[in-house]
Amino acid sequence: MGVTYLESVVLYLLKTIKGERTIYSLYHLFQGKRSSQTIQDAHLYQITPYFQVFPSVTRESLERMVKSLRDRNLVKEAAESKVIVTEYGMETLERSLKEKPLPVFMNGWKYHQTTEPFWERLTLLVQVCSNLVHHESSYIPVRNKKDTLFWVKQYISKQGINRYILAERLYMELASALDHENTRPELVVLRLTGYKKIGLTITQAAEMAGLEPSHYHFEFLNTLHAMLDTVLEKASDYPLLSGLVSQGEREVPLTLSTDKTYGLIQKGYSLEEIAAARNLKQSTIEDHVVEIVLSIKGFNIDAYVSPEKQKKILQAARDNSARKLKQIKERVSDATYFEIRLVMAKYGEEQWN
Amino acid sequence: MELKGYLNGFFKFDDFRPGQQETIESVLTESHTIAMLPTGTGKSLCYQLPGYLLDGAILVVSPLLSLMQDQVEQMMAMGEKRVIALNSFLTPQQKAKALTELERYKFIFISPEMLGMDFVLASLRKLKISLFVVDEAHCISQWGYDFRPDYLRLGELRQQIGQPLTLALTATAAREVRADIAEKLCLDQWKEVVYSVDRPTISMVIEHADTFQEKLERTVELVKFLQGPGIVYFSSKKIAEQAAAYMRENGVRKVMAYHGGLDSESRILIQQQFINGQLDVVCATSAFGMGINKENVRFVIHFHMPLQIESYLQEIGRAARDGKDSTAILIYSPGDEQLAFQLAEGELPDRYQIERLFAYLKDHKLGYKELAQYTEDLIRICGFTEIQWRIVEEYLSSLSHTDLDLDSHSLIQMIERRLAVKNGKVRKMIEYVHAQECKRSVILKAFNEKPEKRPEYCCSICGVDMDHYKKMEPGDNEMLIKLDWKQDLASILLLSERIK
Ligand SMILES: [Zn+2]
Repeated sequence: MGVTYLESVVLYLLKTIKGERTIYSLYHLFQGKRSSQTIQDAHLYQITPYFQVFPSVTRESLERMVKSLRDRNLVKEAAESKVIVTEYGMETLERSLKEKPLPVFMNGWKYHQTTEPFWERLTLLVQVCSNLVHHESSYIPVRNKKDTLFWVKQYISKQGINRYILAERLYMELASALDHENTRPELVVLRLTGYKKIGLTITQAAEMAGLEPSHYHFEFLNTLHAMLDTVLEKASDYPLLSGLVSQGEREVPLTLSTDKTYGLIQKGYSLEEIAAARNLKQSTIEDHVVEIVLSIKGFNIDAYVSPEKQKKILQAARDNSARKLKQIKERVSDATYFEIRLVMAKYGEEQWN
Repeated sequence: MELKGYLNGFFKFDDFRPGQQETIESVLTESHTIAMLPTGTGKSLCYQLPGYLLDGAILVVSPLLSLMQDQVEQMMAMGEKRVIALNSFLTPQQKAKALTELERYKFIFISPEMLGMDFVLASLRKLKISLFVVDEAHCISQWGYDFRPDYLRLGELRQQIGQPLTLALTATAAREVRADIAEKLCLDQWKEVVYSVDRPTISMVIEHADTFQEKLERTVELVKFLQGPGIVYFSSKKIAEQAAAYMRENGVRKVMAYHGGLDSESRILIQQQFINGQLDVVCATSAFGMGINKENVRFVIHFHMPLQIESYLQEIGRAARDGKDSTAILIYSPGDEQLAFQLAEGELPDRYQIERLFAYLKDHKLGYKELAQYTEDLIRICGFTEIQWRIVEEYLSSLSHTDLDLDSHSLIQMIERRLAVKNGKVRKMIEYVHAQECKRSVILKAFNEKPEKRPEYCCSICGVDMDHYKKMEPGDNEMLIKLDWKQDLASILLLSERIK
């Protein structure tokens, strides 16, 4: 018996977390929950590409799916809300992936803040350009967010070129950027709206392409992210498209609240002072620091954990494959959980993978 | 110049639609005016045209944010730049900016709650307002089917901005509702322009089906038989989806479901696909159609009956805007009444929810000012739907003092009164469905109108030959799925000559 595409993705992720995390960790991953636990785990298990790629998932639908996987002996219960993939599950997964591989260019962590604004601006820009070259001034924009409308309007006038050249450039850039092997550009183009041609909804596009909606969704993201890779790598070759990604959105962003904490840290405040100044719990500020460590490469944690203690924690973690904070804590009794989390956030990936 | 000259000059139309000219003339002679014009007659023109002829701003109060947004977008699409919507969509910064430069705008759309704010009123008082327009004015009346408590203050607010010339617009308002509108708006003297609710080009048909399945099959049969495009209305999102899927399985290709549960991108796309002729049929909830201007809708089918005749008229009125014969078919099956009563009741909070709410307010010593802060908790704890919560919140925030026992009692009473009104409306709708006399005359009587002459294609009681609405065009040629995405892209962005 085969599995659906979404099931194969879930199986793959379950395989990767090896029953060490609950199935709800996948829910938080898909949702893109900005908690240090979720972000840390995504890095630890190298499943960052799946961060926030499926925000419409619900707890219930995930539970239902895992139950169905269990009923079919593809996974078995390891502990409360934890499952591991059975041998049969592994075989099935392998077979399924051969036929329908995982989205290799998709990168949820890198692009989770970029994807939506980029897609909104792109669809609107295409629609506006198409209507411009057809001299149609009366149409309903496919986007209704005021910010997006305003942004695109500004963007077009900033280009300062005539409508035909603008549309042609956009065409050339898109035709080239989308032309990426192992992606499916037609899944993106089907969704575009132009003059007297309204784009398809996700459901319609999936049906047109003969894919189950979740498969369509991942293939679409895969294609879009591959295009973003191309566009941002050679930004000078893609001035129009790369300009659709604002500078701030290119860095892996911090949540607003974390960003404030980061600002204060850079000004030299201690965590206690920040907690007091911002009227937040110390533990919240500590969560922020973990997020900062995960997001900003090269952030120095020596101020929070002495280098010797870092070594001790790393050593303990090395001997401890289950990656449980508690077990590390037992070995390094003078370390706080916060210190352990910081070290794991900083060295996690190199350490275990 | 004659009014028609301006009509042509500003809007490129040759003729007014019924009622427009009388309404505009009444406004231009500086009479307060209540205009009841059937849907699809372009009510907005009644203030847009005077807007260009009068010196000063046109202030339009509109109850529904989506409707307001549509209206503003349409005007902007037509090239009018001096238009703005003041509502909760604006960020505080945008709001502040807009208020400092209000005199730049000719058409100012505003939500009733924004109008009630002191700093907004202060800005408005500095303006010359040449016309105060109340859209969907029946919402102000307790007799109206869509009563909105935040409309009640409009009379007082109108006084505060200097009692400007006033135009109240509505699609459906019986005589007592119109009198109520005038009273609530504090108009001493006013003119009424009342156009018949009758749409002679739309035949009104009631069919019966014994079971749900039979109804579904009949709907598909009709959709395949009738000349499109058409809309099928449902009172449930889920059934709208199911029916659209069922239609697709049964050979109706260009059909989609539309309801409030879809994301905003899909809603815009489906609406535009329908307008652009890429879809033949939309399976919709009542969320569909507001603000849509599609001339050639040929049929409207009701899979479920609406909760009041007023909504029914509004929905069937989306057909035949080009004046060509169209049909409205309501399919009834036993049990539909109960569903209608349940839905009407479900829109209102019940006694237990209210009691739980007040218990919570008491326990936590909360005042009504803090409601907004606790919205999420309260909705969860009391199990309110969005609509139910809106009713509760509007009522409580309109109170100046907090007296938990008294207010709980009066809120429950208010809800019981409204439930009685709603149930009465449902009963009228059911009577219409079962009436054994001419359907058109039943509707006209409900609005105190005298039936004039019957159109040839009148109603299922008078007899309608459905072949009149049969599909004329042969099955459309299958659009080939183009596999070449670059060519697709080129056809969007490059002028067609260039890709040949
Ligand atoms: Zn009749």
